[in-house]
Amino acid sequence: MERAAQQAVPLGQMEVFQALQRLHMTIFSQSVSPCGKFLAAGNNYGQIAIFSLSAALSSEAKEESKKPMVTFQAHDGPVYSMVSTDRHLLSAGDGEVKAWLWAEILKKVSVELGEGRGTQTQREPLRPPSAWGHRESYDSAIIQQAFLSMKGCKELWRRQPPYRTSLEVPEINALLLVPKENLLILAGGDCQLHAMDLETGTFMWALRGHTDYIHCLALRERSPEVLSGGEDGAVRLWGKECRIGGKTGGKGGWGEEDASHGSSSADLRTAKEVQTIEVYKHEECSRPHNGRWIGCLATDSDWMVCGGGPALTLWHLRSSTPTTVFPMRAPQKHVTFYQDLILSAGQGRCVNQWQLSGELKAQVPGSSPGLLSLSLNQQPAAPECKVLTAAGNSCRVDVFTNLGYRAFSLSF
Amino acid sequence: MSSESSKKRKPKVIRSDGAPAEGKRTRSDTEQEGKYYSEEAEVDLRDPGRDYELYKYTCQELQRLMAEIQDLKSRGGKDAQAVEIEDRRIQSCVHFMTLKKLNRLAHIRLKKGRDQTHEAKQKVDAYHLQLQNLLYEVMHLQKEITKCLEFKSKHEEIDLVSLEEFYKEAPPDISKAEVTMGDPHQQTLARLDWELEQRKRLAEKYRECLSNKEKILKEIEVKKEYLSSLQPRLNSIMQASLPVQEYLFMPFDQAHKQYETARHLPPPLYVLFVQATAYGQACAHRKSSQPPRQDKMLSVAIEGSVDEAKALFKPPEDSQDDESDSDAEEEQTTKRRRPTLGVQLDDKRKEMLKRHPLSVLLDLKCKDDSVLHLTFYYLMNLNIMTVKARVTTATELITPISAGDLLSPDSVLSCLYPGDHGKKTPNPANQYQFDKVGILTLRDYVLDLGHPYLWVQKLGGLHFPKEQPQHTVITDHSLSASHMETTMKLLKTRVQSRLALHKQFASLAKLQAAVVLNPGYSSIPPIFQLCLNWKGEKTNNNDDNIRAMESEVNVCYKELCGPRPGHQLLTNQLQRLCVLLDVYLETESHDDSVEGPKEFPQEKMCLRLFRGPSRIKPFKYNHPQGFFSHR
Repeated sequence: MERAAQQAVPLGQMEVFQALQRLHMTIFSQSVSPCGKFLAAGNNYGQIAIFSLSAALSSEAKEESKKPMVTFQAHDGPVYSMVSTDRHLLSAGDGEVKAWLWAEILKKVSVELGEGRGTQTQREPLRPPSAWGHRESYDSAIIQQAFLSMKGCKELWRRQPPYRTSLEVPEINALLLVPKENLLILAGGDCQLHAMDLETGTFMWALRGHTDYIHCLALRERSPEVLSGGEDGAVRLWGKECRIGGKTGGKGGWGEEDASHGSSSADLRTAKEVQTIEVYKHEECSRPHNGRWIGCLATDSDWMVCGGGPALTLWHLRSSTPTTVFPMRAPQKHVTFYQDLILSAGQGRCVNQWQLSGELKAQVPGSSPGLLSLSLNQQPAAPECKVLTAAGNSCRVDVFTNLGYRAFSLSF
Repeated sequence: MSSESSKKRKPKVIRSDGAPAEGKRTRSDTEQEGKYYSEEAEVDLRDPGRDYELYKYTCQELQRLMAEIQDLKSRGGKDAQAVEIEDRRIQSCVHFMTLKKLNRLAHIRLKKGRDQTHEAKQKVDAYHLQLQNLLYEVMHLQKEITKCLEFKSKHEEIDLVSLEEFYKEAPPDISKAEVTMGDPHQQTLARLDWELEQRKRLAEKYRECLSNKEKILKEIEVKKEYLSSLQPRLNSIMQASLPVQEYLFMPFDQAHKQYETARHLPPPLYVLFVQATAYGQACAHRKSSQPPRQDKMLSVAIEGSVDEAKALFKPPEDSQDDESDSDAEEEQTTKRRRPTLGVQLDDKRKEMLKRHPLSVLLDLKCKDDSVLHLTFYYLMNLNIMTVKARVTTATELITPISAGDLLSPDSVLSCLYPGDHGKKTPNPANQYQFDKVGILTLRDYVLDLGHPYLWVQKLGGLHFPKEQPQHTVITDHSLSASHMETTMKLLKTRVQSRLALHKQFASLAKLQAAVVLNPGYSSIPPIFQLCLNWKGEKTNNNDDNIRAMESEVNVCYKELCGPRPGHQLLTNQLQRLCVLLDVYLETESHDDSVEGPKEFPQEKMCLRLFRGPSRIKPFKYNHPQGFFSHR
């Protein structure tokens, strides 16, 4: 009976294609909703999936609560970077940045949920103990999914930085929010940092200096404020020109200047390259066979950690000297400070936890062969959803409820 | 008073009887314009002292009235009395009312008093609590302050230069006098910076001194070595003259140690030894115009036990039995496993194939520091020479599968001269000896014994004319000498070409693709998994670009279907894979630290080499324009 049913319905082209897509999926970016209960993940096909962390973490979580609640086609190319403000989800990848209202996305989610629950309760009493029931539910699930992805979501706005015309539209690899300026900084393929005013949506200024494309950005709470790392092997620090001594003490930079001069744009335009660290030139950490690119970057007061082609290294910024070289052969793609630890991930299955002294505290294996992004959900609004999520070269997002082990995986 | 009276009328609800008595004059109370009568409010306006007076007065009045009533009653009057009694009663009733009123007022006052006390008490409690909190806070802050004061920073253990010295010596961008003069914290930071800077400089100096020392030590070493190499050089000159000495029968007392050993060599090995040494010397003299060149192109040495050789030489009959335990026998133990006709025959064979205990070691050095080690043996009973070869290189070689046995000892010297495989014995007489002990061909023993190449025999001065099988061979120096130079040159060329070939094989990129074909091909596309062997093994697990290539053929298969119905899919995928591999190899970033040109020069036109966080290469071909871009 069951066999007959399977033969009757051969695998459709659509399903084969979806299965192949899932097999070769890469999840580049993640972002947690302002309420802390939802996680958005963007993949290499330009899709964004919304997962419910609270449902997946609840005690009565089922398999389907680890599937996306809604998936929509956001971009034509890969979604390389996403950030969340308190209202919007900003996503970028193929040269454009798009904004989506979290409220609207979540409304959609709740509608889908309502529908889902409705059909489920309807199905419950009707479900016969035969294979037909299963097939039916499977088919309807596929139809529902196709329906969701078709219906999609409409973005609130979309903007493109002023590129010089070129054959190929440069990609956007990194987004960075500067909350106190209400600015969004974009960086990527055209080797520049573009700043967009989130109030008006206008591009205010651009910083030039990198000689190859930019991989990553980081924000610092003192001057110089913005750090960028790129394919050219340099970490560049941007800010108002006030060197050590004069205006340190945790303040200074752009925000401070606003009050004294009134107009912000004038001062922001004066931001320039203050310091350059050419990581590959330091033989402690250079690895010429891996290339000189800087793939990840994070800062904490006077300290910076960066990695990529060169080894993962902790730098003291004031003296711009490498302090600790972490003994990890695989190139690292994401790094972040967490409490007194450094978390890093890259080629290989593991999330690496380092002491500042350079000792490897733990290596926690995940389910993907390579990792590209880590996300720590520290939204105070949802303390029960405080988790670490890691994603990379697979269709799964690993969830770590504590730093010791992988609890489960969300899957596209 | 008029206003009072008008107000007095208002609270009629309770005081229905009116009571306009003069005793109630204190009811001048309610000044406020409240519409409702409130006794509680009334309390505030009345004077408790006057109430007390009123109470006393009322009590007196009551007493007085009671007494009057008593008096009237006791007098026993009738009508008039009754009227008067009634009058008094009414008056006393009024007084009772007053008393009651006063009683209520007293209760209210009491309650009010209690409330006030309670309130005050609570206030005091709250203040007390606040006081305690503040005290705690003070204590805590004091503790923190002492903690901070007692904090020992690491920098306190560092001896810093004095302030004056600091400001005098430190460059202004570190000292920043205008900032640090007034601010001790910034000052300390700056001084620490200066200290760090100085220490860095000192460390640099220390390193320099160390390297200087190293250099000097090395120089000393080199000079020492030169000095110590003088002696062997002199010695080897002596050696080169040995054959002359021997021919002329000029016994040299100071015969070299190696020469002593050489004397025990069998004649062919001796010829080889002498000729090789002489050739080596000649080359060293001709090539090296700079005197201190210790790495000779050709070095010769003798290996093996001299004692055994001596024993072999003196009693020729016994020696064969004595030496049967020697290493030659051990090497042949492996042969035991071969099916033999008998133990006796086996022993005979071993005897037949026995090597002379001494062997000559020749190290031939090439320009790139790779060395060809040749070990020459002499098979005494067969009267032939064999050679074993081994190649060592200056740098570690990565051996790819495809390079195979390019450098294996077995084949590296094969066919040095045309047709010289080194598998057959060059001495025709041997064939008869073999027949006796049942050896078919020498080929089976070559791995153990070494290869009996023809040129080896010639180097040893052994000449085997083909037409005369029974001809006894004698060692001939002129034969060896005439072949030495050409052979050495050939050997060198051979090693160099093999190494070059090996290098080329190693650098070849090899792509392996595993394909899963569904029975439903081509409606269900095949799935490729790739593995690239080039500079290490690369798969989708450790290389994002291999993953991208797989994705290009697996996911984007629709572009490769070709015209309907798309049966060409697999072929197109394979062709696409070739293009992808070309792009992959051509766009590989060149490591600057390695010299030489790029292995795969870029022929394809690409807008950019890498894109995105995964650093994907441009795999997408744009048809009419003819360049590659990113998907």
